[in-house]
Amino acid sequence: MTSIHPDQATAQRLAGLARQATPPPVLDPKTGDGTLIDDPAVRPPLVLNNRSFGEITDIVCGYAENKPPRWWLPVFLHAFGLAQLGGLFILYLVITGIGTWGLNNQVDWAWDITNFVFWIGIGHAGTLISAILCLLKQKWRTAVNRAAEAMTIFAVICAATFPGIHIGRQWMAWFLPPIPNANAIWPNFKSPLLWDVFAVSTYGTVSALFWFMGMIPDFATLRDRADRRLRLNPEGSPYILPFVKIRADQARAYIYGVFAMGWRMSSRHWHRYEAAYLILAGISTPLVLSVHSIVSFDFATSILPGWHTTIFPPYFVAGAIFGGFAMVLLLLIPARELYPNMKDLLTLRHIENMAKILLTTGMMVGFAYSMEFFIAWYGGNKYEVAAFVNRATGPYWWAYWTMITCNVISPQFFWSKKLRTNVVAVWLVALAVTIGMWFERFVIIVTSLHRAFLPGEYHMFHPTLVDIMVFAGSFGVFLTLFLLFLRFLPVFPIAEIKAVLPQASPHAHGHGEHDSHGSAGAHGSAGAHGHGDAGQATHAKGGH
Amino acid sequence: MSVLFPKWSNAFPTIFAIAALGGVTTAVGGFWYYATPKFWRVGYMPTQPGGGFNHQIHAGKLGMDCRYCHTKVEKSYEANIPNVATCFGCHADGKLNKLAEGTETYSPSHKTKTQFVRDAYAQDASIPWRRVHKVPDYVHNFPHHVHVAAGVSCYSCHGRIDTMPIVHHAEPMSMSWCLDCHRAPEKVLVPVDKVTDLRWVQDDLTERANAGVITPAAQKVLDAIQKAPPENCGACHY
Repeated sequence: MTSIHPDQATAQRLAGLARQATPPPVLDPKTGDGTLIDDPAVRPPLVLNNRSFGEITDIVCGYAENKPPRWWLPVFLHAFGLAQLGGLFILYLVITGIGTWGLNNQVDWAWDITNFVFWIGIGHAGTLISAILCLLKQKWRTAVNRAAEAMTIFAVICAATFPGIHIGRQWMAWFLPPIPNANAIWPNFKSPLLWDVFAVSTYGTVSALFWFMGMIPDFATLRDRADRRLRLNPEGSPYILPFVKIRADQARAYIYGVFAMGWRMSSRHWHRYEAAYLILAGISTPLVLSVHSIVSFDFATSILPGWHTTIFPPYFVAGAIFGGFAMVLLLLIPARELYPNMKDLLTLRHIENMAKILLTTGMMVGFAYSMEFFIAWYGGNKYEVAAFVNRATGPYWWAYWTMITCNVISPQFFWSKKLRTNVVAVWLVALAVTIGMWFERFVIIVTSLHRAFLPGEYHMFHPTLVDIMVFAGSFGVFLTLFLLFLRFLPVFPIAEIKAVLPQASPHAHGHGEHDSHGSAGAHGSAGAHGHGDAGQATHAKGGH
Repeated sequence: MSVLFPKWSNAFPTIFAIAALGGVTTAVGGFWYYATPKFWRVGYMPTQPGGGFNHQIHAGKLGMDCRYCHTKVEKSYEANIPNVATCFGCHADGKLNKLAEGTETYSPSHKTKTQFVRDAYAQDASIPWRRVHKVPDYVHNFPHHVHVAAGVSCYSCHGRIDTMPIVHHAEPMSMSWCLDCHRAPEKVLVPVDKVTDLRWVQDDLTERANAGVITPAAQKVLDAIQKAPPENCGACHY
């Protein structure tokens, strides 16, 4: 092949004039994966195996179009069953009252609020990836943003359940937002609990809009593919159910068609899409910081030793991003193993980047944990000292040290590049961090509450079956929604993935293993190479 | 680009937006109008034993003072419902001679209409009047005597009882309605000696509302009350 503009090559291939050869992937002999390049000036590619534009579309649409893998249905049924079981326990809770939880006079917030803060935190990775990393032009976000945004929304759904059911008289939940009523009762506008309502509902709304808007072009692709298959072979698609005479592709074409909202892939559409995307990224950016700051005000504005701390807002935000990325890794690493071609789009480089974020934010929360002790001592408030000493050495010492082990110690493994790029190690650390972040909220809430100023106010919290099952049920809801997402929605933003392909760059010199974006300055010799051939250049690793 | 949807479906987003707007407006408006005590409490008029005590005749035409029957209203939390003996005080056999046979104001039905009072008295039984006005059970503290002493007229909460043949609920008695007066007592307070003079109070309050100023009489009342009406939760829901 001669040097030929990639657009022209694509046009020729689409017209059937040229077949683009797919060269075999070149793997690094040391690490077994082409993503890991020791030369800091050379960036590993974001998509492996020299995938063409068409292949990207096929891979991403394939998750929604092909028969789901064997494991999907059993896993889905288990998750759905767990969600149903949690629902039954919530029903029991509503009928009987929140006395069925292990709450008592002293510990009047426990797992309910722990779970709320835990789930709200999970969502933050998605918002960070879709908003801040978008504005900072971090191209690697394209492989994880859709799934992480989905997790944001599912996590907000799980989180919103808990304040709704912990209020005791759940049918009065409409008192949470300020609604004019005949009793002239308003929520207290000075209370962070009301700010929470605004923060979480704004967060849910903006995240859902962002997620949905991003999917519109992909819905259109799915619609057009289904329609095209129907035109080529009207009988080719099976009925959705034996007794429902609707073909799967008909259902796809119309359902995705409704959600595509008339998207025609025109330049004008794309122009507005890009503008809207930037605006939403701008709106979401403060939310990354504000939502968990406001959640932390629920505690920080009180006068309870252990809660009354000015470090809470940044500490909660760092913790939320920490826990959010852990959840993203926890779900995407197995997904990547279970859908083999996902590894081309979601490479070890992505995993490594997220591992680095875990290391950074893990040290931030570690710093916050130590600062709490330092300020308690430095501030000379003996009640605060007592609260923190009680955390580390009191009856809940095991929870505190679980938190420290999982959140501060376990991410330290990521100083090693070997462990950062070992998916099993990353997954195990992500699991530890998820557990640790749940315990962090448990420690903050329960250990601060369980001992007030008088010994007569010392009580322990013991979770009941209802506590445990409602929490497990929220995981069921989360997994159910995530599995449905994997099965029916575009898991990757097709157009954005294509934009980070080497051949998408107008200056593509074809080094298939380079991220050709933003690296022009890095390789001084880029110009000298001129427009290389994509196939050849794959072999030119380290050729600079 | 596939053509799945006919051209007229382009109108759907507009139709949907209009329908959503209309739906939300209808829902909010409907809720606003129907789901408040203003709608479902005002006008409540239960059937009373013996056809009811005709306030229009007793308090209106005959000009009886409210306190003739509701004797404890100035001393008690409750404005009591009178016992049968109070009714019997007038409606005993041989009294109310003006209505007796042969007089100018003879009322043939009166005797039969009020027979249930004498029956109840003879049997030493109570008349099961049905309660019309009732604050919810979580309003622990509604002192009639305090309100009357402060110059809140019967009219403000119960309306023109003296024009009602059968008593009905005239005001919504929602919490916001309570707060309306507690937050602006100058609009409703009257001299204490006028509290039960419902016609006078109605005229006075209407005049004051139209004038939009605090009249000297009202200012005197305001100066006389020692403290502002409470707005804290514990005042009613302790």
